[in-house]
Amino acid sequence: MQPRWLLPLRPVHSRLRPFLCFLLLGLVQFSLTPLVRAADPNVVRKSLARISNTSQEPNYRQPWLPGVTMSSSGTGWVVSKNRILTNAHVVSNARFLTLEKERDPKKYIAEVEHIAHDCDLAILKVQDPAFFTGTIPLDLGGIPEIETEVSVYGYPIGGDRLSVTRGVVSRVDFRPYAHSGIDSHLTIQIDAAINPGNSGGPVLQKGKVVGVAFQGFSGDVAQNVGYMIPTPVIRRFLTDIADGTYDRYMDLSLTTFNTLNPALRAGLGLPNNDLGVLVSSVASAGVCSGYVLPGDVILAVDGLAVASDGTVEIENERIQMAEVAERKFRGDSIKMRLLRDHKELETTIPLSNAWPFPMQANQFDVQPTYVLFGGLLFQPLSRNLLSSVQFQNPRLNYFFEAFVPKEIYKEHPEVIVLSNILADPINTYLNEFKEGVVEEINSTPVRTLKDVSEAFSKPVDFYVVKFIGNGRPLVLERAAVESARERIRTRYGLQREQNLEANSR
Amino acid sequence: MRATPFFAALLLSATTLCIAHGAPLPDTTTAVSTAVSTTATAGAAVATDSRADFLKNIVRVAVTAQPYDFARPWSKRAPTSRRALGTVLEGNRILVTAEVVANATYIELESPDGEQKQPARVECVDYEADLALLKPESDDFFKTRPGVRFVTPQVGDSLSILQLEANGNPLFSKGPMTTAEVVRYPIDDSSFLVGRLNVPLQIRESTQSLPLFKEGKLAGVMLRYDAQSSLLDFIPAAVVEHFLKDALKTPYEGFPRMGCSFSVTRDPQLRRYLGLNGNNGGVLITQMLKDGPAEKGGLRKGDVLLEIAGNPIDSDGNYRDETYGRISLGHLVCTKNFEGEKVKVRLLREGKPVEAEVPVARRHPEKYLSEPYIIDRAPNYYVLGGLILQELSRQYLKEFGADWARKAPLDLVNIDRTQGETDQEARQRVVVLSRVLPSDVTVGYEDLRHLVLKAINGRAINGLSDVPAALSKPEGGVHRVELQGDPSVIFLDAKAVEAVGPSLLRSYGLPALSRLQ
Repeated sequence: MQPRWLLPLRPVHSRLRPFLCFLLLGLVQFSLTPLVRAADPNVVRKSLARISNTSQEPNYRQPWLPGVTMSSSGTGWVVSKNRILTNAHVVSNARFLTLEKERDPKKYIAEVEHIAHDCDLAILKVQDPAFFTGTIPLDLGGIPEIETEVSVYGYPIGGDRLSVTRGVVSRVDFRPYAHSGIDSHLTIQIDAAINPGNSGGPVLQKGKVVGVAFQGFSGDVAQNVGYMIPTPVIRRFLTDIADGTYDRYMDLSLTTFNTLNPALRAGLGLPNNDLGVLVSSVASAGVCSGYVLPGDVILAVDGLAVASDGTVEIENERIQMAEVAERKFRGDSIKMRLLRDHKELETTIPLSNAWPFPMQANQFDVQPTYVLFGGLLFQPLSRNLLSSVQFQNPRLNYFFEAFVPKEIYKEHPEVIVLSNILADPINTYLNEFKEGVVEEINSTPVRTLKDVSEAFSKPVDFYVVKFIGNGRPLVLERAAVESARERIRTRYGLQREQNLEANSR
Repeated sequence: MRATPFFAALLLSATTLCIAHGAPLPDTTTAVSTAVSTTATAGAAVATDSRADFLKNIVRVAVTAQPYDFARPWSKRAPTSRRALGTVLEGNRILVTAEVVANATYIELESPDGEQKQPARVECVDYEADLALLKPESDDFFKTRPGVRFVTPQVGDSLSILQLEANGNPLFSKGPMTTAEVVRYPIDDSSFLVGRLNVPLQIRESTQSLPLFKEGKLAGVMLRYDAQSSLLDFIPAAVVEHFLKDALKTPYEGFPRMGCSFSVTRDPQLRRYLGLNGNNGGVLITQMLKDGPAEKGGLRKGDVLLEIAGNPIDSDGNYRDETYGRISLGHLVCTKNFEGEKVKVRLLREGKPVEAEVPVARRHPEKYLSEPYIIDRAPNYYVLGGLILQELSRQYLKEFGADWARKAPLDLVNIDRTQGETDQEARQRVVVLSRVLPSDVTVGYEDLRHLVLKAINGRAINGLSDVPAALSKPEGGVHRVELQGDPSVIFLDAKAVEAVGPSLLRSYGLPALSRLQ
């Protein structure tokens, strides 16, 4: 069994696609009393909305530009009195959102109230209360049984009006969520057709919502494989935002290894009872740092015995130990019984904050940060940057992949890359430095982009940038940079020479 | 072209074939006739018997090679065969490129007409300079083969490349030498002088190690050919002659280096920062190999190298060669000097001139943390109850294919790539748990792969040879194996490890549980 992050911090390569949506809205009402009637499309339709999103994709190649606008659409539904639930990917990077109900010509302007990129859910609010006239919130159900029938409601491609497809529950499993690219949570696979535009739409069984359609495989990979976000994940999201802010999933940030081997058990001092999982690494920036050590054996989590393969039994299902932390919130704590140096001990780990370095995840609703100096573009390494720029330097792949396992973040909370050079006479000899990782400027270690900005604002004659590796330093004369400044600004149409705030919008 | 993988010359592609049998035949015919006519200008006598002369000193070389399988280090890969041309040199030696004989199990020489055959062995080989000398079983082979002499090819010279037709007739192609440049040879870490010419080559049975002639004398040996661009790189006579002189010495020493890296100083801002205002040339020393020649000679990181053996170095790292003009100082250091010779250098240190002597020396592949190549040598391994332990080398990483730098585990690639930056000692090896042969002993460990081994039973492992000693002291009947990464530690039952050996040999067909040489 491969060791894995209990909550995955590493990118998951998968051909899963979130179903970016291209269609309608509808709103349906369903009557509260007769459950059978509630599954009637005419009733559900009243609580559905077609969401149109005009979004703006940030431009990581030219981060001073505002980015390209695009439109897409998806489905949302009324989850409580005046809240619409949908997928995060339906409303990511939104600049302007409108909702449409069936049999209502009006377009209602909406705003994102809460967005959870780690579990692909979002709550919208609507400015005009008239939107909710005649809508009835849909009820949340539980986890449907395998092989039972479910109906998917939404506005997928292929037509303008409400579409309903039907299928059975195929399986319930921990699966990667393609939106963030690094998170895995409980998902339910169904064989009903789910297509672009279905995203965010409710999946109903016996009149209750049992999931939100959100991703699937494109047709050349698999047939009739669609995924929905089950209600435990939806409920967790709704509970998390109850206090007005979304605090994200809590992450133990440790890796474990099975204790199936008898010699391993003997060496660790474990009795022959198939219990306990070996901790192989503990991220020093994670919540378990200081509470759990590599080499410890986790015997129990919150009183649940951990088996030698790292699973616990919850509600009659054997499931990854991670699920215990999945159900927690910021401020909660988790109890562990550990075996350390052959002695048992109890520890209580406060879940203070979510994992602080999300650079390996797809990021949304943020502006690219950068510093431009003498035509040199410095940017922090991130999944967003790597997916926009094709770098050749294998060192960058290493820094990205090893960022958590090798704790690169300790010295480089941000890995600063000289990602591009806007050609000018003052940097004509500097091409060899492209794609280099900055180590220090004028002998001061560079840990974040702010350090770069500060170093370049000091009045020194020479700016000496050292890159990781054994090359020469990059030298820029202040006088040369200043004389070139206006020239570079005009030539390349730079509105701003730096942006240090990801949330600047 | 520079990124050509090691055995690229073998891969003369299908494109070549099409081109060769397609339109360009008339061109080639022209080339051949020009070759003959040029020779004719050298003298009537040479012209008449030049073909016979050439053929006297050319042999076909048929090689059966069996490389080791670094993913299954106890076995070899399926045998492959190569055909090349060898050139007979004065003094009863036959010259080929080293790639031809890499991992050879059997070598046979044939006369061009195929009438005479004779087994041969490798007398001397340098994989870095990509050159080898062969010796036939009997010296009788040389009776009718006097050997060729060398000539120094120059840019602008018209050179003839010799191939053989199936019937033994020579096939000449001719092209002008366009470039002399110091670039990488097939072993990634080594740069030497390369001559380049533009010539369309036809595909024939033997397309490796082709000799290049100028006026009947050997100008060099083909290193690689790119069919798309028709560019041919060859090892010029200067490199071959250095190799031949070294080959006379036992042990073979090879091409010496300075043991430091340097950086160009063209950038005027850098020059002003370094205080090089008054000078024109010089390169900045950016890295010293620990205990390397430059360090022994007293050079320091940050010094500016101005002159080597009386030759001024310009800001691009070039010197003015009497034959080739401005070329990289690498050629000056490694081809004009021999191991152990002291090379005088002039430096600028903190603005002051300094003189020093560098005892240049070759860095042997064994001195690397991750060996740049392992050829003709079986990889070491140790099967510990089913855990396969191996030493990290670039050959190991190359098992991941041509795109190994992206496909191999990134942390291992990172060790290999940054060994010059991180580990200057380089006397140690990195031991890797490469894979697991599942057995009773390895239950739960089946999926472990490519993990760096740190210690066994508390003893640091800096090479496979450390493993047996570390295994002699299990604590409480179990071996404690510490790994870098996930998991950080595993245990093996010491008695069970002993006991499972025979069944591993039997069920996986291993010849032995370890090879430590």
